[in-house]
Amino acid sequence: MVADGNTVATEAWGLHVQVRVALDAIELDVDWRPESDHVAIVGPSGSGKSTLLRALAGLEPGAQGHVSFGDDVWLDSDSGVYTPAWERRVGWVPQDALLFPHLSLRENLAYAGAGQPDVERMAASLFLSDLLDRRPRFLSGGERQRVALGRALLSAPRMLLLDEPFSALDRPLRSEVAAMVRAFARDSGTPIVLVSHDEHDAELLADERWVLVAGRLIADGASA
Amino acid sequence: MVLAASSLQDVLPAVARAWDARGGVPVRFNFDATSRLAPQILRGALADVFVSADDEWMRWLEERGGVDGPSIRRVATNQLVFVVPTGAPDLPGDPGSIARADLARIALAGENVPAGRYARAALESVGAWSSVEPRVLRGGSVRGTLEWVARAEADGGIVYRSDALAEDRVSLAFAFEGEAFPRPAYSGAVATRTEFRGTAEAFLDFMSGAEAEALFSASGFGLASAGGPVAQTPAAASALDASPGLDPWSAVRLSLIVALSAVLLGLVPAVAMGWLLARKDFLGKSFVSMIVMAPLVVPPVVTGFLLLSVLGRDSALGGLLATMGLPIPFTLLGATLAALVVGFPLYVMAIRAVFDTVDRRFEEVSWTLGVPKAPTFLRISLPLALPGIAAGAVLAFARALGEFGATVVLAGNMEGETRTIALAVYSLLESPSGRGATWILVIASVVLSLVALLGFEGLTRWQRRRMEDHHGR
Repeated sequence: MVADGNTVATEAWGLHVQVRVALDAIELDVDWRPESDHVAIVGPSGSGKSTLLRALAGLEPGAQGHVSFGDDVWLDSDSGVYTPAWERRVGWVPQDALLFPHLSLRENLAYAGAGQPDVERMAASLFLSDLLDRRPRFLSGGERQRVALGRALLSAPRMLLLDEPFSALDRPLRSEVAAMVRAFARDSGTPIVLVSHDEHDAELLADERWVLVAGRLIADGASA
Repeated sequence: MVLAASSLQDVLPAVARAWDARGGVPVRFNFDATSRLAPQILRGALADVFVSADDEWMRWLEERGGVDGPSIRRVATNQLVFVVPTGAPDLPGDPGSIARADLARIALAGENVPAGRYARAALESVGAWSSVEPRVLRGGSVRGTLEWVARAEADGGIVYRSDALAEDRVSLAFAFEGEAFPRPAYSGAVATRTEFRGTAEAFLDFMSGAEAEALFSASGFGLASAGGPVAQTPAAASALDASPGLDPWSAVRLSLIVALSAVLLGLVPAVAMGWLLARKDFLGKSFVSMIVMAPLVVPPVVTGFLLLSVLGRDSALGGLLATMGLPIPFTLLGATLAALVVGFPLYVMAIRAVFDTVDRRFEEVSWTLGVPKAPTFLRISLPLALPGIAAGAVLAFARALGEFGATVVLAGNMEGETRTIALAVYSLLESPSGRGATWILVIASVVLSLVALLGFEGLTRWQRRRMEDHHGR
């Protein structure tokens, strides 16, 4: 079901998203079948990017339509199929990190059940080793984003859903963290869907780019 | 305004109607236990005539200038009787048989209420007091005592003959007859501060006259002449201070036990209800919310009455609980339950508010990390809400400490069992020499409440700080 690195990505990851979600002002209405397994969706704020990710993660119970990933059907309104978020196993990294405030960094990273050696290794690759026993409120925005990323990667995700994951990182750190995420995705064969309003972020991680405008998704060949 | 012993509340209005028919001015009444009325008159309660159920309280009031000495006169007499709920098998036949073990709960009026004092003296004179004392339920007035027997909350009780005749839910087992037993006697007097001295004197005359005498005897009272002259020796204050059993520290301890148990017992239901109201939309939500919040606005006495109706021994549920060995009325459990029900709205409100402030997206992150709803609740929602839950518990604790109305109705006022600080203070109001104990209780109560409020403040601040955590520094 997941690419083994040699097969063509389209066959392997087979994400098909056809959903409608009512938002405050607009309706998100997409019929989407990405080809590459590193996809970026760009668009202005308010276009529905975060909602699309949430619908993929199983956090929009109001979503109507059909979502399938490989052989798994996650949503099919017609037949009443709805896979809850905890069974989809997507690594969702929300824009504002949402680290659990009552847990230390170490506990945040290990939340999904990762062992201490893995936690330490992940912390090192995200330059967080010195901070492991702190509480989230003593961290900067960039540090939080990296912890959130590490927490998602350590949950053995079947797909990464990154919502503006580098917005609080400065440029040099951005490239390093992006390279680390890319390596993780390559080694584990995990597809990535990234949303950002920043063209540059999209270039760092994605092979294929889509543009979301007012709830509609349009293919964009510019960076393919 | 006539302030009169509560055992007179059926007969005196009849006397007043007769007085009215003779062209007297209309009379209004305030019936309560003599032991509460006498101190109230001293503290300035509006009164023209006072009718006491015993001579000692009358003398006590005269000594302190509450009534005119020369106006004091005998009005009527009464007799103590032992009553049981109607339909009870195997009536006890004489005073000695009260010691029988199957009479598990015996209702008497409060320690300083005349009927309670007479009853104790009667039991002492047959040597039964020490065996009866642990089984005593203390009512407020004699009317409250009668109601407990009528509801079968008590297996028997000692009241006046006139009360027993007026209530068909009780049966008269025997009377305390003879020289050995005290003879309850009523005396009336004009209140010193009356503005209608002439009318007050005239009403007193009428009350002790032939026409009133006929009405009294029709209601089961004895003749005034049977009571002899009103005692002339002023009562020692200690004679009225029949509260040697009232230990203020026992009340403080009991208050803490009751409040803590109420908070612990209510923890899971309050968290569940608070979470439900904050997070779920369901049919009838506003109705459920209203029922939960009701004890906040319904008078506690009414809440207590409703609880007694549902959980009393004469109700289906209460009967079932009693046979399971969990009787609610007049037990520590009842006091706890009353405190819990009255404190529950505050408990739920605080917890609901905290679940409203905990960002639901923390739970969502946890789900996407593969942790289902129930474990997410335990690992994320509950710890995040912990300070707020603790604040709710402290608030409910403080409210439980102050609970009075529902407790006195559901659980009575029993030393060492249900007499918490608030009830003890109330009891001491009718005990002339209980000032020291009263102040201990007042100080303990104020200190405990302030400490609880301080705790609430601290916990609320902790919760707020925790919620600000993820918004960056």
